[in-house]
Amino acid sequence: MSVLSGLRHAVTSLTRRRGQAIAFGVLFRKFRSILERNNRILELMADMGDKLGGDYVFDRQYIHAACEDLGELVFKLVSDLSVLTRRRNDELFAAVTRIQHDIGEELAGRHAFPEVGLTLALPAVSSDLSEGAGNKMAVIGDVRNILGLAAPDGFVVSGKAFLCFMAQGGLPEVVSRWLAGFDGHDQDYLERMAADVGDRILAAELPRPLSGHIQASLDILANRHKPGRLRFAVRSSAWGEDSESSFAGQYATVLNVAPDEVFAAYKEVLASAYSAQAWRYRLDRGYREHEMIMAVGVQLMVEAEASGGLYTMAPVGGEREVMVVNAAWGLGGPVVDGTGEADTFVLSRSAPYAVTSSEIAHKTRALAPGPSSGTELVPVPLELRDAPSLTLSQLERLAQAAMTLERYYKRPQDVEWSIAKDGTLYILQSRPLNLRSRLPGHAACPETATRGAEVVFAGKGQVAQRGVAVGKVFVVASDADLERFPSGAILVSHCTSPRFAKVMREAQGIITDVGSVTGHMATIAREYRVPCVVNSGLASGLLKTGDEITLDATLNAVYRGTLPELSRFELTEVEVFEDAYEYRLLRRVLKRVTPLALVDPQAENFRPASCRTYHDLTRYIHEKAVEELIDLSRKGNAYHGATPRRLATGLPLGLVMIDVDGGLAPGEGEAAMDDVRSVPMRAFIEGLTASNMWSTEPVSVDLKSFMSSFTRPFAAAGRPDTVGRNLAVISRAYANLNLRLGYHFSTIDAFISETVNDNSIYFRFLGGVTDLARRSRRARCIARILEESDFRVEVRGDLVVGRVKKLPMDLMIAKMRLLGGLAGYTRQLDVHMGCDADIKRHADAFMCGIAPVMEENREHHA
Amino acid sequence: MNTTPEAQAGKRPRILILDDEPIVCKRLKPAFQKAGFTVETFVDSASALARVKEAPFDIVITDLKMEGLDGLAFLAKVKELRPEAGVIVITGFATLETARESFRKGAFDFVAKPFKLKDIMDIVARLLAGREAS
Repeated sequence: MSVLSGLRHAVTSLTRRRGQAIAFGVLFRKFRSILERNNRILELMADMGDKLGGDYVFDRQYIHAACEDLGELVFKLVSDLSVLTRRRNDELFAAVTRIQHDIGEELAGRHAFPEVGLTLALPAVSSDLSEGAGNKMAVIGDVRNILGLAAPDGFVVSGKAFLCFMAQGGLPEVVSRWLAGFDGHDQDYLERMAADVGDRILAAELPRPLSGHIQASLDILANRHKPGRLRFAVRSSAWGEDSESSFAGQYATVLNVAPDEVFAAYKEVLASAYSAQAWRYRLDRGYREHEMIMAVGVQLMVEAEASGGLYTMAPVGGEREVMVVNAAWGLGGPVVDGTGEADTFVLSRSAPYAVTSSEIAHKTRALAPGPSSGTELVPVPLELRDAPSLTLSQLERLAQAAMTLERYYKRPQDVEWSIAKDGTLYILQSRPLNLRSRLPGHAACPETATRGAEVVFAGKGQVAQRGVAVGKVFVVASDADLERFPSGAILVSHCTSPRFAKVMREAQGIITDVGSVTGHMATIAREYRVPCVVNSGLASGLLKTGDEITLDATLNAVYRGTLPELSRFELTEVEVFEDAYEYRLLRRVLKRVTPLALVDPQAENFRPASCRTYHDLTRYIHEKAVEELIDLSRKGNAYHGATPRRLATGLPLGLVMIDVDGGLAPGEGEAAMDDVRSVPMRAFIEGLTASNMWSTEPVSVDLKSFMSSFTRPFAAAGRPDTVGRNLAVISRAYANLNLRLGYHFSTIDAFISETVNDNSIYFRFLGGVTDLARRSRRARCIARILEESDFRVEVRGDLVVGRVKKLPMDLMIAKMRLLGGLAGYTRQLDVHMGCDADIKRHADAFMCGIAPVMEENREHHA
Repeated sequence: MNTTPEAQAGKRPRILILDDEPIVCKRLKPAFQKAGFTVETFVDSASALARVKEAPFDIVITDLKMEGLDGLAFLAKVKELRPEAGVIVITGFATLETARESFRKGAFDFVAKPFKLKDIMDIVARLLAGREAS
């Protein structure tokens, strides 16, 4: 990609003119190369992020190739900086190497990260940690930390702790010896083997570091919960448990455990993995011995009023689309294992989840925590025996939570839950229901489902998150609408907004007219796995609140009416894309690539050692490159003919210009406006000053309100010499500008001459430090302004890139003036972006203010 | 493999997908099933070729770089056994050279990975439409 086409002109004319100036030419070329690589890195990162949406088919080879390209680009970026600064930049090379190594390990299937400890606090657990935390507890992490549902507080004794425990007792060797003599069938042998291994586990001591970690985690929990009498539930969370093979009932759960009994309960759960029955189960399903990793969850006991199980989709009679809840008083064990009497409620699968039938059992006994530990069956008070164990509103809440889980995991769920005495609904466990085996003969036949259905639109816009949503449309036009958003509806909106995060847990699907797959809203939709199509161009015009539709965000089509067959097909797919190894791999890799921590050059952490991702490195190097070029040129004599001169303006712009060829009138010291002969540079300055966009004086009534903030001096003016770290390298026809205004960062590269075909402007804007919503609005506001002015625009989150090429000189000059105005205007713009309506208001106000400036004084350049 | 009801198999266009990365098969299969195709997927060229010898397919989608018989050789074999089958080549190592070679051996289209689901569905639709027209 040759974004910066002016380079050739600038450098060749420079070297032709003055041999001794080559040194600067070489350094400037390095600087340009840094800018170009910087752009490519940002684009490649955005491309990789796109792939998570589900629109693309990609494979492992792609992930490897993209990581390799990216690593190489970043490495070269550091090399370029080293040439530019003539320093070794050991710390930067170390940071690149570290990140490359971690990504390489991840690609090779060795988990360099996350670094899993012996115990993991629940707030830090999610699906991404499923290998350290085991499947069951990883889900509990999602439930609490992503889906915002309640799960009992606690921690996980990790898979690593399991390996450590087993190794200390020499148990892997014992298991190997036994297995060596096992023919795979002999039941007697299996039972003797299981008994021996189980006994050894129960007899073993916990390794000291492990017992220390568990004790510390218990103490932290006790502190958090003002201990009176803490009791715990200790649950198995093995690899593969609650996944495609459910292992339901194979491993132990120990309830109502006193703090001093936790170690014993831990060993009991571990030993249950080696019961003859569990071992047989694994053998029958082809699990290898080394895949036997048992993490263990330790959670606070819920003081349960009622508990039970729920299937989000179950076959009942002729109806196929129902949810079934089983419930009883007290703890849920007897309900789940089917030994106790339980109420049965059948609910509709769509909001408001009406109860279609209920069967209230005669419940004589309930499971309750024992006086000191363990559990016991106690009689149910007479007046409660025939009363329903759940109220209608509790059922609705339960159904809503369960559907949130189904939407997220893209599979019908089997959920275990408890309602505490204080009314809190706790999710204890959620695992996929295998519908293929449960609904034989009900294999979905999708093309008959869509046959005859009215297609509202198809193939419009892009898929930001795949999946199928069936439900009622709710059109969102304002923030107030979000407050009224009904659970289970499909959100339809003209624009995208990160504010949709608020309703992401309730939304069945999202369709917008505008927006991009790499925007903030799309990222959030992916986080919650809400099927989402953006940039459809027309959805809000065709759909109105209350319309029943089916959104197929996998093949990108919207049908009128509900097509349950389609959603059933999706729910019974062999493998969920989000559960595919490649998806998880790309996600893990991107954690080393895209998050940006280094946003403020004045902040303490703005140094190489703090760079955790490629994005951090890229940002750091860009900043340093600009500083270096300014410092270089300040040193003066070393670069004949390229002495930097400060531009004298009334604004606190602090702009230093390095003239490589006829960009300034001859002279020394500060340069006045009239000294600027560089065509693009002059147009930029005129736009900036003439438009009053940075002025303290009100331009018009409309502009007054937001102009007030521009009177503030540099937001980041920590040290005096950092004010005006703004740089322009210019020649008669060329300008390369690097501007840091407030916390925003803009790059402009422009070549403007009489030769129309050589003319080009590249503009890049990268965001500041306010919240996501404001940042995204500001990006959209800038994009809107650029689009209205015929730039080719790409928006990716905070990043806005605008390009315009091959226009006649006068039009190119007008564009540069626009960018000058924009640079001043956007300095603090995000502060004023309180709501989505501000985008258009500010864009319109700006266009109105800049229009005369774009036209005036053209004779200057004639 | 073929999970669609046998009764309808006659009317449905038949598609074979060969890619040594299972994820590609896993993504394409449900998409084409949903669009009304009978889909069979393979991760090695030997079994895919054996299947082509056994049964006719309207469309074959194949990867290029594979162990054993590579995609170009597989393409040639398919065209020899089933000249009527439309073959679409998908590859993560797209070069002008391999594209030219694929077309020379009779491929209908050549797609670089990663690609959008919709793109490949459009190509298949184009292939079928062209066949009906002729």
